[in-house]
Amino acid sequence: MRDMNEDAAANAGQRATAESIERGGSGLSVTELLATVTPADPAAEPAHGTDGEPAREVPVPDPAYEVPVPDPAYEDSVPEPAHGALVPDVDGLAAAIATAAGRYLPQGHLDPDADFFDAGGSSVHAVELAAELERDLGVELNLDDVFADARPISLARRWLEAAGHEADVTTAMRTATSKATTVTTVATGTPTSTGTPTSTGTPTSTGTPSSTGSTATTGTTASAAPTPPVGLTSPAPRSPQPITTLPLPEGPPHTTARREDLDQILADLALTDRLPFVHSPEPLPPRRILLTGATGFLGSHMLLDLLRHSDAHVYCLVRGADEETATARLAEQLRSYRLPWNAEVRRRVTVLPGDIRRPRLGLSEELWHTLAHELDSIVGVAAAVDFLRGYQSLRASNVLGTLTLAELAAAGRPKPLHHISSIAVFNEVGITSMGEDDPFAHVDRLIAGYDQSKWAAEVALRRARDHGLIVSALRPGGISGHSRTGAYNPQDLSSGLISAFGRFRTVPAFRYLNAAPVDWVSRVAVAVVCEPDAWGFDYHLTGVPNTLDDVVRDMAFGGMHVRVQDWDEWRTDTLARLEAEPVPELTFLSRVLQSPTALKLCEATLTGPAATGERTDALVEALGLQPAARYDARAQLKTFEKLAGDGLARLPQKDDQPYLWFAETTEGSVRTVDDGTVSPCSMALTLSIASMYQLVKERRVDVTGEVTCPALHPEPLTVERGDVWVRPEEGIPRQHGLRHQLLRYRLRLRDADGRHWWLEGHKYARARRDLWRQTRALTIELGREGEPATLTGEVVVPADSYVRDQIDGIQVAPHLTGQEKRAAKLTWLAWFGLEMGRGLLGPFARAAADLLDLRRTPTPTEHHR
Amino acid sequence: MIFKTTPAPRRPLRRVRTTTALRPLRHRLDPARVEDIPFRAADGVRLGLTRVDTGDGGRPAVLLLHGHTASADMFLLPETRNLVDALLDDGYEPWLLDWRGSCRLPYNETGRRYTYDDVALYDIPAAVTHIRERIGERPLFVVAHCIGSLTLSLSMAAGLVPGLAGVVSQGVFLTPKLAGRTSLRMSVAGELLKTRIDHIPVDFRKVGLWSRYTPLFALASRRASCPDPTCQILHNSAWGTGASLFVHENLSEATHDRLAELLGPAPLWILPHLRRIELARSVVRWHDTDHRYRALPPNALDAAARIDTPVLLLAGSENGLWLDSQKLCHEVLAHRQPQLDVRYTEIPGYGHLDTFLGRGAALDVFGHILDFLGERR
Repeated sequence: MRDMNEDAAANAGQRATAESIERGGSGLSVTELLATVTPADPAAEPAHGTDGEPAREVPVPDPAYEVPVPDPAYEDSVPEPAHGALVPDVDGLAAAIATAAGRYLPQGHLDPDADFFDAGGSSVHAVELAAELERDLGVELNLDDVFADARPISLARRWLEAAGHEADVTTAMRTATSKATTVTTVATGTPTSTGTPTSTGTPTSTGTPSSTGSTATTGTTASAAPTPPVGLTSPAPRSPQPITTLPLPEGPPHTTARREDLDQILADLALTDRLPFVHSPEPLPPRRILLTGATGFLGSHMLLDLLRHSDAHVYCLVRGADEETATARLAEQLRSYRLPWNAEVRRRVTVLPGDIRRPRLGLSEELWHTLAHELDSIVGVAAAVDFLRGYQSLRASNVLGTLTLAELAAAGRPKPLHHISSIAVFNEVGITSMGEDDPFAHVDRLIAGYDQSKWAAEVALRRARDHGLIVSALRPGGISGHSRTGAYNPQDLSSGLISAFGRFRTVPAFRYLNAAPVDWVSRVAVAVVCEPDAWGFDYHLTGVPNTLDDVVRDMAFGGMHVRVQDWDEWRTDTLARLEAEPVPELTFLSRVLQSPTALKLCEATLTGPAATGERTDALVEALGLQPAARYDARAQLKTFEKLAGDGLARLPQKDDQPYLWFAETTEGSVRTVDDGTVSPCSMALTLSIASMYQLVKERRVDVTGEVTCPALHPEPLTVERGDVWVRPEEGIPRQHGLRHQLLRYRLRLRDADGRHWWLEGHKYARARRDLWRQTRALTIELGREGEPATLTGEVVVPADSYVRDQIDGIQVAPHLTGQEKRAAKLTWLAWFGLEMGRGLLGPFARAAADLLDLRRTPTPTEHHR
Repeated sequence: MIFKTTPAPRRPLRRVRTTTALRPLRHRLDPARVEDIPFRAADGVRLGLTRVDTGDGGRPAVLLLHGHTASADMFLLPETRNLVDALLDDGYEPWLLDWRGSCRLPYNETGRRYTYDDVALYDIPAAVTHIRERIGERPLFVVAHCIGSLTLSLSMAAGLVPGLAGVVSQGVFLTPKLAGRTSLRMSVAGELLKTRIDHIPVDFRKVGLWSRYTPLFALASRRASCPDPTCQILHNSAWGTGASLFVHENLSEATHDRLAELLGPAPLWILPHLRRIELARSVVRWHDTDHRYRALPPNALDAAARIDTPVLLLAGSENGLWLDSQKLCHEVLAHRQPQLDVRYTEIPGYGHLDTFLGRGAALDVFGHILDFLGERR
């Protein structure tokens, strides 16, 4: 097995090209490119950075037009490139942008050809950066452009192009291209034969083939530009092979992928061909697993599941300067997802500080070789999940990183590679089916960089399969919160959507939500890793899709009656509401809802068909795992609680419009503790609940109203805050005995003079036949705030008012429909009735058990069975 | 009967000179390091006490209490990373008590009756005293499971085991709570069966296909997902009560096949006490008129103020037997005894027994225990 890193010198050129692509994104100029294929050419030397950094003095406006052509035969025809001098503005501006951008990054600086997001910038920072650039440098950047490709050099070029510097740029370009021999000409817009830039500022044609004098023009123009098809005009047999032959993008913006992204995708796919041919791995459960992305949401759950369900030792590739910081980062992330991190976990995990985006994963050569020979499974979970960023910005993590893992899988001992892909590979508007073996989306119809990068990674791995590599592609859809711990992914779109649904009580009309809880996704993914018979296939980890009906019903079940809106209406409405009362935790959602590319992604997701997973279902059944279940209200509950706790979602609260309420009046008397003076006492209360959730989880009812007790104050006292707990503490008696608690009242009262009092009341269940009275009689204690009780007594709900107030008199929130109101009323009565029944039964059951205990128990010791 | 029932087992020899002997422990420790201590409770009942020698005289000791019908084997599973391994690696000296409800002892089966009062009054205090004599001033922790923990709470509320350095309670502590259905089936079935049988076996191989227990096994197999009758009567029915003792997929295959060895038959004559405790939702004394037991409080929850040690309440989120008893206990103690140092940790995805028997228990459960002990050692 030939190791990729032991490439013979013969492949040096190819490798250098590929590596520079890996290192610097697509920041390859023609000159640099040629330099890489002619390492011996001293003239090209300056194009190389000193330590492998890609060249910064990039004279060509848009590198995506140039394609690496590793053909050493061309070296003769390469003239010395004229660096920098042509368009100094680009570099100067890029440097200025880089300096500005560096201030938002943890490390404090940014290389002009490094991606802002890759370097650690967040989308919030990107927005601030764009504002700052506009203010300080006068550079007005479209925010979408920033997300699509956030390298300062690209931003500089983009702005110069847009701001009327095209002439310069094109000149530079032409100069460069005329000198270079390998140009992929891609015409856009209205290509002109004179090479004049188009007024739209879209990428311009680089001139007619005749004017460049190049040996071949590899692009074809859809609008019948005078370019004959490739090969026909190519006089030289050694003409470079084109990488793209693409039609012109047509139609309104954001309906097709950007040209430069497609070129880059194809160039990246070609990298797969460097993989060696490999044998099959030993079909044994893994003992040493490399896991990337262990700090991510799915990755961290998979780490624990790998430890739980196999005996393997897991090597986690974690970003960090050294092992200590990487370990600390992993520990912090695991804890944030409510996963254990303790001595027992640590003894089975080795943290490798590295970076998926770097060659050899950022590991030393020695370590790489050790891993190549010792690992017996690779699980690639790491990916940059960002729906705003473009392909250029995501490819290093999502495509090149995956290819590096494939390289490691093929090196040394052959091992299976389990790749977490995504059903984003189907994310084309109008796709008809999403089965495990169905064709992917058309890549030119994928708009969002994320979709493109996941598509490219998986297609590259399909090619890798032809090299003999065992690759399992696991495609989750939405990964929802853990059904038991409630841990969720705060960056995930579905968390934001669920929060918005609950917060604004509206949902957009969608067909299916292909989402499954993280615990199930992780468990099934781990089962694939641990089961050799499952290796090498494609799986959909999408669970059972939720339909719109399901979601609406579930939310109503949770007491949240939502209204369905058209997608556009919902989007506008939600954006407006988020603007009116900003929720910091949901800023990312409003950004997604404003980004044209991310919107395409959302649209495709919402209108897409249900993903099916027959192979996954068969695997789950064969291994006896938990079958996929719909992510329903119960499974969502914990996640929703946590979302609410973290400020994303919002649960109904005391001050909101109550969901249901009714009146309760009681009459009775109290006596003073000291001398036993009896005086009357009555209460006129309103009992309300804000949501069914409050009732079922907290077993609590809110109380407002008045207490009239002349012994405290001649005027009625107002209830400032009041709660009633139904069967508090499971009804456990306060003292040993048969007096079980039915209800507990706790009120804070304020009298007309502003003094505060407390009232504590209990209804008790006893093993006595006066059940009707037990449900109505409230034993109360009253006292000055912070002091012991001064009055005790009993107040009773009059028998005639009970049914009138508490059953007939139930009011339900007016905005609900009649059906919803009746359902709410019935639910309350059923729940409360059952609770009362259980409470009343308790003492009787104990009394009955005491009677049973009187029975003789003539149990013989058994000798014969 | 059409079929003759299985031939009667050979009558055991009448014990004249020998006494009760414990079934040997199964573990993968060095046998020389495992010290089996001949140990009797204060009322003369032979119990099992095992010390794992570490060769280090300065380690804090940890007493492990198993659940009813289980045994010290549940902490020593050779097939997985067990609690004793984790404790040894973390610098503790494990002590394992087989109290009278252990399946290594014959009492559950042969009907030498006892109640949980006996365990709380005799077994646990005697073991603690014995260990204290051996370890001197070193701190002593207790990790207790299920009924072991319930009886420990009674001992603690009675003040019989003062000065513990910390207590980890799994499954249930002062406020036992069963599902209504479980409670009902337990009472009804117990009343119906108590004149016919005195214990419910779990090992089908020991009773044969056709026996008086056959209907029980048949009932337990209703809607069971696993064909193993032992697993059915434990996982699907918890000795016929309809509760579930563990989450099936959390057990390793080896443990699953050993269930009959890990859990023994459940005596029926313990049910009245269990029922009284469960209906009161608090640990109550059985013997109201027997003055030998007056050291125990009538209701341990009322006497909880005597607890003088930090307590960690652990529970699996899927506990099918005791449900959310631990959460309830935490809530009740926080309200009624706010001065106590009690905390509650829920282990997501775990049931009752698998918190110690599960193949991933070391990862998900023992870490919480070690963290708690580590803070107080």
